[in-house]
Amino acid sequence: MAEKPPSNSFDLKRRQLLKFAGATAAVGGLGLHALPASAEGTARVRDSDDGVLDVAIIGAGMAGLTAARDLHNAGCQSFVVLEARNRVGGRVLNHDLGGGQISEAGGQWIGPGQTAVADLARELQIDTFPTYYQGKTVVLGGEGRLEVDLHGTFGTDERIGAKLSELSKVVPSGAPWTSSRVAELDKLSVGEWLARQGIKPEDRSGWDTSLTLTGGVPPARMGLLHFLSMINSASCDYMKLDSIKDSAQGTRFVGGSQLLCTRMAEALGDKLRLACPVREIADWDREVVRLVTDQGEVRARRVIVAIHPALCNQVRFQPALPEGRAALQRAWPAHSPARKTAMVYKRPFWRDKGLNGHTVEVKGQVLWAWDNSPPNGEIGVINAFIVNAMVPSEPAAAQRVLAQIYARSLGDEALNPIGYHDHDWGQADPWSITCVSAIPPGFWSQHGESLRPACGNLIWSGTETAEIWAGYMDGAVRSGHQGALQALASLRQA
Amino acid sequence: MKKKLLLVTGVVLVVLLALFGRDLLGLYRLQDYLDTTTQAYEAEGPWPQTADACLACHGKQGSSLHQRYPSLAGQPADYLKTQLHTFASGQRMNPNMQPLAMSLTEKQIFELSDYYARQPALDNHGFDPDPALRAQGGKLAAAGACMACHGEHLLGQGPFPRLAGQGADYLLAQLDAFAEGRRTDPSGSMQAISATLSPADRKALAHYLASLATAPK
Repeated sequence: MAEKPPSNSFDLKRRQLLKFAGATAAVGGLGLHALPASAEGTARVRDSDDGVLDVAIIGAGMAGLTAARDLHNAGCQSFVVLEARNRVGGRVLNHDLGGGQISEAGGQWIGPGQTAVADLARELQIDTFPTYYQGKTVVLGGEGRLEVDLHGTFGTDERIGAKLSELSKVVPSGAPWTSSRVAELDKLSVGEWLARQGIKPEDRSGWDTSLTLTGGVPPARMGLLHFLSMINSASCDYMKLDSIKDSAQGTRFVGGSQLLCTRMAEALGDKLRLACPVREIADWDREVVRLVTDQGEVRARRVIVAIHPALCNQVRFQPALPEGRAALQRAWPAHSPARKTAMVYKRPFWRDKGLNGHTVEVKGQVLWAWDNSPPNGEIGVINAFIVNAMVPSEPAAAQRVLAQIYARSLGDEALNPIGYHDHDWGQADPWSITCVSAIPPGFWSQHGESLRPACGNLIWSGTETAEIWAGYMDGAVRSGHQGALQALASLRQA
Repeated sequence: MKKKLLLVTGVVLVVLLALFGRDLLGLYRLQDYLDTTTQAYEAEGPWPQTADACLACHGKQGSSLHQRYPSLAGQPADYLKTQLHTFASGQRMNPNMQPLAMSLTEKQIFELSDYYARQPALDNHGFDPDPALRAQGGKLAAAGACMACHGEHLLGQGPFPRLAGQGADYLLAQLDAFAEGRRTDPSGSMQAISATLSPADRKALAHYLASLATAPK
């Protein structure tokens, strides 16, 4: 890393302190609060003297907050978290339903193998509970209606799933571009591959829906290599990625996923600055990076960029980023801004009828609706991913349309909701742009090598950079740990 | 024998209908819907198709009920092609469209533009215009000579988009972008016209254009 020598002895001394902090982090394992109080105090005074922080973290989503938590646990006190919104959580968000109940508007599930986020939740004393799937799912299409028990799955053809699982073994989750079969697999879309498998017309809609939900785009524009890397994350088992029971949609957090972020933020005190978007990152190739924010300039030796790659395009970089990284950001797909709704009922009435509250529409307005009630079913909540352009944008009109669909699938009780929440991630604010990454064919071959290498003192974090479960909350947590480690290690070496 | 068999089948059917009538009818209708939609889909080619990726925001056959995501149905192919090219080059800014357009081949751009140009433009029933704003917008449209470029009924032609029945929030966002220089057009006319309009005027125009019929009598 190109670093200038320390400018004065003052700096040298605080670097030695940091070295100690870093060493403690590396050796101490869990006992990371080991930085002596006096040293901590010294570090703080020093910072206020020269006004330069050790680390600035951009983004108070799950990745940025995890990084902050790790820095804090390692004894580093000289950092700040800059968040553009006036809330924490990024792409996780709780709708407050009143009466102490919530429904998740953003990322909400964890599943097998997502050990990083599961561990974090345990440390934060947040419990989990299973997604409700017992009973029959309703399939709607035109005037048609079918009740079917899918036993906690989406009813996908498991023969095709098994083929994908097998193929995924040669596509490393963290670096799909290094696959031994990259040339052949990255040329294809999932759709082109599926078309060769002779998918029956009645199954096509299911693949369109599941790829849209999991990958952010229907099979026609989803890169096969990328999709296989996602299956690889799920222990090379398609059913652990795209199902409910024993899968990545199978487990929820009591109190909602955003609770992980609010808990982590509580511990940060004034190190967290809300409503503080970063507009410019200057001198990232020099010893001290300058961040121009809406609340003035922040200077730091390392910057952990824990935001979506597409959001980086809205930041001015001075000097310009290396071409590889700049090209990656420009090309990063951002056309999957999900719209997620919550319809609230007095109770989950559908359960009495043997229904699980799940609705799948064939070529309809609802991609997938599911029972998102709280753990004990105190109230009934139907969450849904909807086809944005097929439902009116006005929430009251959208509520009427959806209530009628639910009446057809669950019964007339559905016509009397007690609440409705509607979150269109593409319109709610400019700070997400999109949800999951609909990586097209050829993307990883062209841009993969530029995903992770630091640029000067900029360390790239955020779920998209995770080695395992990229795009998921678990990936965000992993990338946060990684970002903090990278920052501490490079400060120690300096 | 044949008669007997038919009779038995009939009896079985009646029994089944009595037991599972609603379910059977539902299943039959679902199958019927699948057949009809598959047939309509395959008229454009085999599954899957590039346009599948556009549906979420631009709607079934390019007609969006969402006022902020534009309808592409009935847009002139020339206009659509140019927009995809300018998104890809970064000349027209939109964080969602830019990377998507960059990932398309020339052939895909041609096919998508052709497909949406062929789809029937539908009226914007999802929008409830304010009568006063709509009337004011009508006057502004006449004064601004929108028809000179966008066609007599504002249904678009050549490089000029259809405005009639377009999403109200989308129209307003574009007028604002032109006025503030965030969107440009080759001749500069849209910037020049929009710059003379107050924010209230732009809103009125959006209400008027969004509520215009796409099949004028």
